[in-house]
Amino acid sequence: MPKVIPAPDELSKPFWDGVNKKRLLLQNCAACDAYQYPPRETCATCGSVESLGWKEVRGRGHISSYIVIEDGRLDRRMPDQPYNLAVVTLDEDPGINFYSNLPGTPVHQVPVGAAVEVFFEEVGPGQLIHEWRVTR
Amino acid sequence: MARLISFDIDGTLEVGDPPGAITMAMVRIAEGLGIIIGSCSDRMVSDQTRIWRDHRIPVQFTVLKHQLDTVKAQFAADEYYHIGDTNMDRFYAERSGFKFLLTGAGVERLWIPQ
Amino acid sequence: MTAQSQYRWRRDKEGLGVWEHRGKVAVAGYGHSPVDRRWDETSMDQTLGAYSILACQKAMADAGVTPDQIDGVICCPTTIAGASGGAASNWAPRPFFDPPYDSEWGLTRVNAQWLIKQMNLRNVKYAPASAPTIGEMVGMASQAVGDGLCTTCLVIYPTGNLTGRYRRGGENAEDYAKGERQWTVPWGNHGGNDFINIFPHNEYCLKYGGAHDDLAPFVINQHRNGLMTPWGFNATHDVPQLTLEDYVTSRYILNPLRLWDCDRPVNASAAYLFTTADRAREMQQPPVYVLNHSQHNFKQRSTQPMLDEIETWTDFAARQMYEGSGLSAGDVDIFNPYDGYSTMTQFYLEAFQWHGVKRGDAFAFYADDIRVEGPHPFSSGGGNLGNGRTRTSMYTDSIEQLRGTAGRRQVKVRAETALCAFTTPSSGGWLMLGKYPS
Ligand SMILES: [Zn+2]
Repeated sequence: MPKVIPAPDELSKPFWDGVNKKRLLLQNCAACDAYQYPPRETCATCGSVESLGWKEVRGRGHISSYIVIEDGRLDRRMPDQPYNLAVVTLDEDPGINFYSNLPGTPVHQVPVGAAVEVFFEEVGPGQLIHEWRVTR
Repeated sequence: MARLISFDIDGTLEVGDPPGAITMAMVRIAEGLGIIIGSCSDRMVSDQTRIWRDHRIPVQFTVLKHQLDTVKAQFAADEYYHIGDTNMDRFYAERSGFKFLLTGAGVERLWIPQ
Repeated sequence: MTAQSQYRWRRDKEGLGVWEHRGKVAVAGYGHSPVDRRWDETSMDQTLGAYSILACQKAMADAGVTPDQIDGVICCPTTIAGASGGAASNWAPRPFFDPPYDSEWGLTRVNAQWLIKQMNLRNVKYAPASAPTIGEMVGMASQAVGDGLCTTCLVIYPTGNLTGRYRRGGENAEDYAKGERQWTVPWGNHGGNDFINIFPHNEYCLKYGGAHDDLAPFVINQHRNGLMTPWGFNATHDVPQLTLEDYVTSRYILNPLRLWDCDRPVNASAAYLFTTADRAREMQQPPVYVLNHSQHNFKQRSTQPMLDEIETWTDFAARQMYEGSGLSAGDVDIFNPYDGYSTMTQFYLEAFQWHGVKRGDAFAFYADDIRVEGPHPFSSGGGNLGNGRTRTSMYTDSIEQLRGTAGRRQVKVRAETALCAFTTPSSGGWLMLGKYPS
């Protein structure tokens, strides 16, 4: 079964529009230069609302830890069990992290600490999500 | 033909929590027919053993939900069945080469002539 | 009855000093319903509503107060499965039943208004329409009594479950992920505390050394304490004592999170009676004084909270609680942190430094003697792991230990102060109780 499809809303639309063009755009605050993900109404660092814009990042990161989902609760993903769920930190700001199923990495064989790069995977008609794969 | 039936407990047997459709009388019939029977459940093994002892049904195995493969390795049979009520029952049954049967839906026809 | 929506009762900052009502508010009674695995949808004397009424009656009887004396009711009106249950948290069978079970109220949820009506409580003047979870409600009640909004207040925490409903279906069965779920669900995280804590726990094992199964002695001891808790699920359902072999052979849910690291959802209710210290002294039981209450609500930096954030949050909670109670780690006799997933408890233990346990020391502490008879009777209530997901054994055990009525769980060490909580650890609250008002 395919992954669950994200439903963009007003706040997240610029992010998902970027993803659908295979670009990783994060909220960035012009006032304090902080990145923010997931997007929020205000800058969590300085509280600014007007200064929040969008900035493309390179999409390089590292695996910080992982689990294997063996008995999850999402109907659509049950046929995929067991599968990896890793946390990837962004090199440009390790305070930012993303989930990844690490497509291409065998289950239970996740190299913690390894470098990863973003790629984009279609999960519904015209809807991509950001995924990550281990780089050699 | 040797046949083996593994029973999940909760949601499957009448003594389960929640109670399931398979009565202990049905299980006794299977045992009387010479079918290799036992339980495969998330309950502790000591708990499973106690249930069978309380109902005076001699079973040949009591294993955890993810250990059906050990049952297959231990007992030679022509047909292996696991009866349960959840998607995890199905997952572990199929992974271990058991045919999965959903509780209810008249699964007792497998061994009780109608 | 006023809505009190603007009432600022929280103590959620540092620098507030010792609580102004320290020792002037007390817990005078408690009551538990039976703890069932689920409601069978036919026994009307076993509904969540019936169980909540029963818990209130027991709490009042324990304290020796009559319904006419009750002037405050605080009840958590949401289902324990919470928002992620979505539409599925409107669980009750259709059609509904005869009154008072002609809506979801009393079946899958219970609120103060429903209880006041069913119990014919005629003198209630404080009953907030929206109440938080038990971790915060006990603080809300303490502050309300201290501030004089009410004098004799029931706090009720219903935890409902019906067959096949618990976090099944609803949003978890949908093809699309909306709102906050768009950032987690496409990759398989439905958003529970299991996911929130398992990654920091993995980081913890890497940072301090240790393996996941080092949690085994803690989980086993929780079961042991649970079997000594007469009202709990395990003790009332012949659940055998969990052994080391049971634990290490159990299957994984979110590997390395095992089956026995998870608590068992139940259908149950508990009630506590908060009153002024002066009134409590006139009541039936020795008062258990409230020495402080505190709350916290942290926003995670990004998608997944990391170990450093969890440690910062729990350190904050500890400083805040110790400041407001005027106590320090060495003063705390009974310690009942939350365990609704075994993987979070070490964060609390180390933040509060109970019995000198510092960051990275928890697994060694678990491997030592943490039995109630021993020198370090950790989590003497058995928590959710030993009693089912009632989220109340931490409070009840603390009260019983201070009263000296914990039976087989009664600790052998001093029992004059008790610290208890339901927290996740990003949100929730802590409560400090004392055998003496100062
Ligand atoms: Zn900013």
